[in-house]
Amino acid sequence: MSLLHSLARRLDRISLAPVAYAHCDIPCGIYDPHHAQMAAHTVIRMVDLINQLEKPGSNATPEQRQEYTAKLTRYVATKEQHAEIAKAEVRILWGDYFKPDHLKTFPDLHDLVWKALKSGSKARQEINLQAAEDLLKATNDIASIYWKTKGLETMTVKAPYPTERQTVYPKFR
Amino acid sequence: MFPFRRFRVEDESMRPTLEPGDYVLVNRWAYRFRSPGPGDLVVVQDPEVPIRFLVKRVSDAKNAAHVEVLGDNRASSRDSRAFGPIAIDRIVGKVWLRLRP
Repeated sequence: MSLLHSLARRLDRISLAPVAYAHCDIPCGIYDPHHAQMAAHTVIRMVDLINQLEKPGSNATPEQRQEYTAKLTRYVATKEQHAEIAKAEVRILWGDYFKPDHLKTFPDLHDLVWKALKSGSKARQEINLQAAEDLLKATNDIASIYWKTKGLETMTVKAPYPTERQTVYPKFR
Repeated sequence: MFPFRRFRVEDESMRPTLEPGDYVLVNRWAYRFRSPGPGDLVVVQDPEVPIRFLVKRVSDAKNAAHVEVLGDNRASSRDSRAFGPIAIDRIVGKVWLRLRP
C-alpha cells in the first residue's frame, strides 16, 4: 500500500490530485454527555405534560377537542424527537469518544449503552414514564463514566428543570 | 475517458476509514450499470461549495435520483444531516482503493 501511496505523491508533482474533503462540521474531540441527559429530561417532561393533559369529555366542543389534539400531538412529537436525540448522542459518545481502554476500566459501559438505547426506544414508542426514567438513569451513568475518563469527579444533584430529577454533573475545579 | 481518478483526502469526518493524507482511487464508471447502494464510499460534488469534492459514505439510496451520505465520524461530519440528499449526477464515482502512507 505504501508503495502506491508514494507513487501517488510522486504523481502529485506532475499533476496535483484534487482534494476530496472528509468535511468536518466542528472540531473533533468535542463531546459532552449533557446533550443526552437534557434530551432525557425533555422526554420525562413530555410524558408528565401528556399525563397532565385533560382529556376532552363527551360534551367537549370541537374547538376543545382540536386544542387537545394539537397539544397532545406537539407533546408526542417532541417526546419522540428527544428520545431519538438522546439515543443519537449516546451513540456518538459510544462510537466516537469511548475507546477500548475505557472499557477495561468501565466494563459495564456496553451494557449501559444498550440500556440507554433500549429504554430510549421504549420511551419513544410508548407514553411510559418508567422508560423515560430508565433513559435518564442510563444517560446519567454514562455521563458519570465520561467525566471520570476526563479525570473529574461528579456530583448527583436535583436538576434545575421542572423535571427536578437527580442528574450527574461534573465537579469543575 | 480513463475511469480512475485519484483524490487526496483532507479533514477528519471519515475517520477511521480514511485519514487525512490518504489517497483514494475513484472509479468514475462504477455507477454506469448499477446504482449506488448503502455503504458505498463515494466522492461527490459538495452541494454547498460546488467547486469542491467531498468523500462520504452512502447511507440511503432508496430514492433512485438521490442518495444520502454520512461521514463515518458522525460526531464531526458535515453531511446529508446538514445539506440533505445529493442528486445522483453529483456523484463523481465510487472509491475503489485506499492508499495509506
